[in-house]
Amino acid sequence: MHRAAATGSIALTLVSALTLTACGGSGGKGVAADAKQTLTVWAMGTEGEKLGDVAKEYQKAHANISVKVTPVGWDVAHQKLVAAAAAGKLPDVVQMGGTYLGEFADMGALEPVDTKTVHEGDFFPAAWKQGTYDGKTYGVPWYVDTRTLFYRTDLARKAGLKGAPATMADLQSAAAAFHSKAGTKWGINLQPGGLDTVQSFYPFLYSAGGAILDDQGKAVVNSPAAVHALQEYGAFFDKGLSEKSVRPGYDVTKDFNTGAVPMFLGGPWMTSLLDDNYPNLKGKWAVAPVPADKASVSEAGGSSLAISADSDHKAAARAFIQYLTDPQGQADWYRRTKDLPADVAAWKTGTLAADPSLKVWRAQMETARTTPSQPKLTEITSKVDSAIESVTQGRTSAKAALDKAQSEIEGLVG
Amino acid sequence: MSLTTGPAASGAAVTKTTPEGAGAGRRPRRRPLGRHTLHGWLFSTPFLALFGLFMLFPIVATLLMSFTDFGARNVTRPLEAQFVGLDNYTHLFEDDRFLTALFNTAYFVVVGVPLTLVLGLLVALLLNNGIDRARTFFRVGFYAPVVTTIVAVAVVWRFVLDPSDGLVAGLGAELGVQVPDFLGSPTWAMPSLIVMAVWRNLGTVMVLFIAGLQAVPTEVREAARLDGAGTWQELRRITVPLLRPTLLYAAVITTIGYLNVFEEPFVMTQGGPSDATLTVSLDMYREGFNFFHMGYASAMAYVLFVVIMGITVLQLRLLKDNTR
Repeated sequence: MHRAAATGSIALTLVSALTLTACGGSGGKGVAADAKQTLTVWAMGTEGEKLGDVAKEYQKAHANISVKVTPVGWDVAHQKLVAAAAAGKLPDVVQMGGTYLGEFADMGALEPVDTKTVHEGDFFPAAWKQGTYDGKTYGVPWYVDTRTLFYRTDLARKAGLKGAPATMADLQSAAAAFHSKAGTKWGINLQPGGLDTVQSFYPFLYSAGGAILDDQGKAVVNSPAAVHALQEYGAFFDKGLSEKSVRPGYDVTKDFNTGAVPMFLGGPWMTSLLDDNYPNLKGKWAVAPVPADKASVSEAGGSSLAISADSDHKAAARAFIQYLTDPQGQADWYRRTKDLPADVAAWKTGTLAADPSLKVWRAQMETARTTPSQPKLTEITSKVDSAIESVTQGRTSAKAALDKAQSEIEGLVG
Repeated sequence: MSLTTGPAASGAAVTKTTPEGAGAGRRPRRRPLGRHTLHGWLFSTPFLALFGLFMLFPIVATLLMSFTDFGARNVTRPLEAQFVGLDNYTHLFEDDRFLTALFNTAYFVVVGVPLTLVLGLLVALLLNNGIDRARTFFRVGFYAPVVTTIVAVAVVWRFVLDPSDGLVAGLGAELGVQVPDFLGSPTWAMPSLIVMAVWRNLGTVMVLFIAGLQAVPTEVREAARLDGAGTWQELRRITVPLLRPTLLYAAVITTIGYLNVFEEPFVMTQGGPSDATLTVSLDMYREGFNFFHMGYASAMAYVLFVVIMGITVLQLRLLKDNTR
């Protein structure tokens, strides 16, 4: 009964891969940008829901083009994209999460970006790097996100802290102060293990000057800097300042509201989550830059927009992407979604320039780093996830865990 | 099939063949048979087509794929996958994660299956004999988990097992006992999932056993009681032996289901903490869909298939009905 689920689903993917390729592969040289045509666009999550409105406005200005936006849930996005790529039926324009791009570019499913018209200098460097694989750029940065430190200002006063912790050492003592003086259950929320623990670890890793892969794509995860960062990370668990086990689907904002967790590292989406769900908490929390080790460096995430290699409407697709990623389009997109613009020029006017907490995000974004695009990125980071977990659970030393991860990752990228 | 349609079809043949065969007096024997086979094939075509497309082809394709290095790149160019012989299979047995997954699956089956069968039998016996009132209520109560979607079940169980404000933790606090963090501790995660799986699958086994119990002839029971057998003796000497066919079926079905266990760890723990609840199916899913090692995942599927096949054959041998 369950066998069908396991064996069958793997097999089914193959079926689609084998049979559908036969009907894939579109011929034709493509349609000019000013001809009458329909653009198909896939976008994920909230972006997928909101992009429809922008598409409507775009159609008003461009009568010859109708844009068909299909929202895709993040949970099914990867499988849908793989199936579509196998069938040669990717939409003209597709939103690419940072970790996806390397994989699809490697499959040959994406059209390289024309770097003569889209300029690298217009975007945050980390955002641009996410759209680049093997020296070629496939995605135009659309929006960015990064992680900063969220902390409870009211509890910080109770704990006798003057402002946010500025260094990693301060972060340790601040967590201890929250716990002992302000009576919070925990000092800071950090993910102890499981899938994508690495997201929570990146700010520590990058701030210490470490990385998983260097710019040449070589594994460097057991460098002294990385070992130091993991020791720092593990220390919170050793001292009982971070919870060692977190259930899947854990929502940190709940404990942040009650004060059980006074600090966490979170992305820009946390801001609207806190504002919407806990309006009473407003004024009692703030964001601060990631505490510095060698420097304050966070992780860059976000999405870019790519054009399918099989698309017949490349010219029109380029124009549409241009519209979404120029400073005006980016500022408009921020108003609709609160997604942080990837285009630096968009930050020069309006709320984006004035708001003090947005300045924190912007400053963090300018130095943020990202892992080079790599088709096996998910697998590589999963090895780091296991290393982190074995340290937070107190099973191995940081050095031993990262040495193991290093040899595993070398086997993958080598 | 040919037996049941035989008379009707030959009847039709008689009426049709009469004009041409009138002079001969005897009707030809061969033609109706040919038509039979044609009808047979026609009737089975829908099944054969669906089975071939959605079962046979994937099964064969997976087998072939398990001898290749089929990966993400081959999604757009499937024929470029390299033949690697038995490499996937040899790597599997050097892969720590897979061996952990095998161990976890064995743990789940060895503890879970007997527990499900014993509890299922107990509940069935109670419902069949002990409880007269509200029998339907209890039956529905035990069967409801079977038909409830796993996602809803997971939400409820996560709440029950929550270490800070869950039901079990609350009861523990009342009694002054510190309960462990069930899903967060590598020691307790698997037992917690087993308990949940037993609760989920109890209903199916119970229904099977109730049907089996009702087929036990009352005369045999009466004779046993007249001979002075107590409740325990009646259960051991009469009920269980006569339930043997049902027991065999329930054991085989439950074992196959538990060997393939996927949903429980997938929704409750994602295989964690520290791979403590990573099962073979979940590992296969990870390799196949997260990392896109389709060849490797297919090899896993076949190893699991061989294990299931072996265990099922063994069970059929051991629990064979010897009374006949």
